Amino acid sequence: MRYAQLVIGPAGSGKSTYCTNVFEHCQSIGRTVHIVNLDPAADHFEYPVSVDIRELISLEDVMEELKLGPNGGLVYCMEYLEDNLDDWLSEQLEDYIEDDYLIFDCPGQIELYSHIPVLRTFVDQLKRWDFNVCAVYMTDSQFVSDVTKYISGCMASLSAMIQLELPHINVLTKVDLLPNKRDIDRFLDPDVRLLFDDLNAHMAPRFRKLNHALAELVDDYSMVNFIPLDIRNEESIQYLLSCVDNCIQYGEDLEPKLKDHEQDDADD
Amino acid sequence: MDDTAEGKLQGKAADDSEEASSSSASSAPGNMVHKKPVVIIVIGMAGSGKTTLMQRLVSHLSTSKSRGYVLNLDPAVMSLPFSANIDIRDTVNYKNVMKEYHLGPNGGILTSLNLFATKFDEVVGLVEARAADLDYVLVDTPGQIEIFTWSASGAIVIEAFASCFPTVVTYVVDTPRSVNPVTFMSNMLYACGILYKTRLPLLLAFNKVDVVKHQFAVEWMDDFEAFQAAVEGDSSYSSSLSRSLCLVLDEFYKNLSNAGVSAVTGEGIEDFFHQVDKCADEYMESYRPDLEKRKAEKAQVEAKRREANMARLQKDLDDSKGQNVVLSAPRRMEDGDEEDELDEEEEEEEDDDDDANGEEERGDEVFREIGGRL
Repeated sequence: MRYAQLVIGPAGSGKSTYCTNVFEHCQSIGRTVHIVNLDPAADHFEYPVSVDIRELISLEDVMEELKLGPNGGLVYCMEYLEDNLDDWLSEQLEDYIEDDYLIFDCPGQIELYSHIPVLRTFVDQLKRWDFNVCAVYMTDSQFVSDVTKYISGCMASLSAMIQLELPHINVLTKVDLLPNKRDIDRFLDPDVRLLFDDLNAHMAPRFRKLNHALAELVDDYSMVNFIPLDIRNEESIQYLLSCVDNCIQYGEDLEPKLKDHEQDDADD
Repeated sequence: MDDTAEGKLQGKAADDSEEASSSSASSAPGNMVHKKPVVIIVIGMAGSGKTTLMQRLVSHLSTSKSRGYVLNLDPAVMSLPFSANIDIRDTVNYKNVMKEYHLGPNGGILTSLNLFATKFDEVVGLVEARAADLDYVLVDTPGQIEIFTWSASGAIVIEAFASCFPTVVTYVVDTPRSVNPVTFMSNMLYACGILYKTRLPLLLAFNKVDVVKHQFAVEWMDDFEAFQAAVEGDSSYSSSLSRSLCLVLDEFYKNLSNAGVSAVTGEGIEDFFHQVDKCADEYMESYRPDLEKRKAEKAQVEAKRREANMARLQKDLDDSKGQNVVLSAPRRMEDGDEEDELDEEEEEEEDDDDDANGEEERGDEVFREIGGRL
């Protein structure tokens, strides 16, 4: 069994920063993770990239040669990846064996999660290759400043959730940038009645029923519970990582690798 | 080839109609309830056919003698198949922004939009000046939907329009792709998110009905059980989740209008505009009061802030008794000074690099060269 995190979320929500920080954290606690870049438009990394989609195809070339805009180009790139899953990606992933842990840094186009089945095919393929996959959905905490935006964020996340059908963890990024951290407390563990009242205060009266349905949905399934991420705080990263590990059952069947340690020591 | 030719033709047609309409302003129908134009903001996933739909809407406006005003907010579009009255590309060059700020394509679009949003009050001013002569304002948005819906500038654009004109958000749905109930559901959830984000009347435009009829979608939206059956037949999700999602969406559909259109054949465009008018009425009825309330709240906050500032100013004035006050801000260095200092620093660095063995001159030269180029 191999393990993978699929880091998704809208552009600018902090996906790559999250990858960098998880990588650094794991490095400091002596755990190995490999980061795979799936964004053909990325051009700058702060983490070592183990597998890079740009080796397969680069957005610039596509835009230039096929005369596509950035959007059409990206969709083309991802569809090209879909076509080459069996050849290119399987070859690239062959190096990773039992118990290896991969993090996929995905592009930010929301279409990929809710509209175009590329990522779904990709995930299904990973599952077939014996990966335990978990989606980590990033939302910028700046955009949950009030309750209507919170619902909007929940809906976007839900829409990705039902499309991918993966264990799903919602992360609220950039919490350290919030002027008042208390503001988001009520969204981290929302109370259905407060939420309902809040929504009614913000929306026109005709939305009462819809508000009610939404508040119940959020409450009933607690699916869209958010985990705050403060990248300056090591504990926050650790907590998030343990949640993800729990989700994909990483570490449960892990054999103690005594030998590796000895070897490492010898290398040192 | 066809496209460009058609585009030109339409451009001409639009110009013609504009001339015609400006000469006979009184003959236009115009809704009496709200004289101001209805703003239609077109949002949609990449590939749902926003721009083609825009082209169709523009040409429909020109043939039906309605007066439209067209805005393009997509900085990355290569060629527009319609003529825009205001084009973001005239103001911001997206390629230059990418180069100048070392951004990727996504960041480039976002920054371009941000730059444009800072001047958006002028755009609204332009539209306002012509408001009496216009029936519709069409706004095309960037293809990356999250750039518009999940950014500060998108919110600014929407709010700027919504505070002046009846505004309708049109969410373009790619009908052939939505035949899959799960895709349909995730699309609808996203639309629901947009409704909550913008708090404006939402119109679903099922595009590409020439390929697949949108009848199935209407059926799903009307009949909660039918949709649930479809979802359960397709998805492996627990039925209780899909059931409650369907329930939520069922409520959502009641707050929403829809129209099936085909941007290619022009089918359903009449109905589309009919729905837009209905949404505009809705805006006046139920959204406007809410908006006024929010505006009043904002104004109150602003007034308080101003008052506080005024009080501070008054206090400062009292303290200084009308005399000149030396501000505590750091003294701005004169240009010459600054350069000299830089020069010195540069020289020092060069010294370090070159072990200070008579290479000072060269360093100086290099710096002068750079300075010259700058």
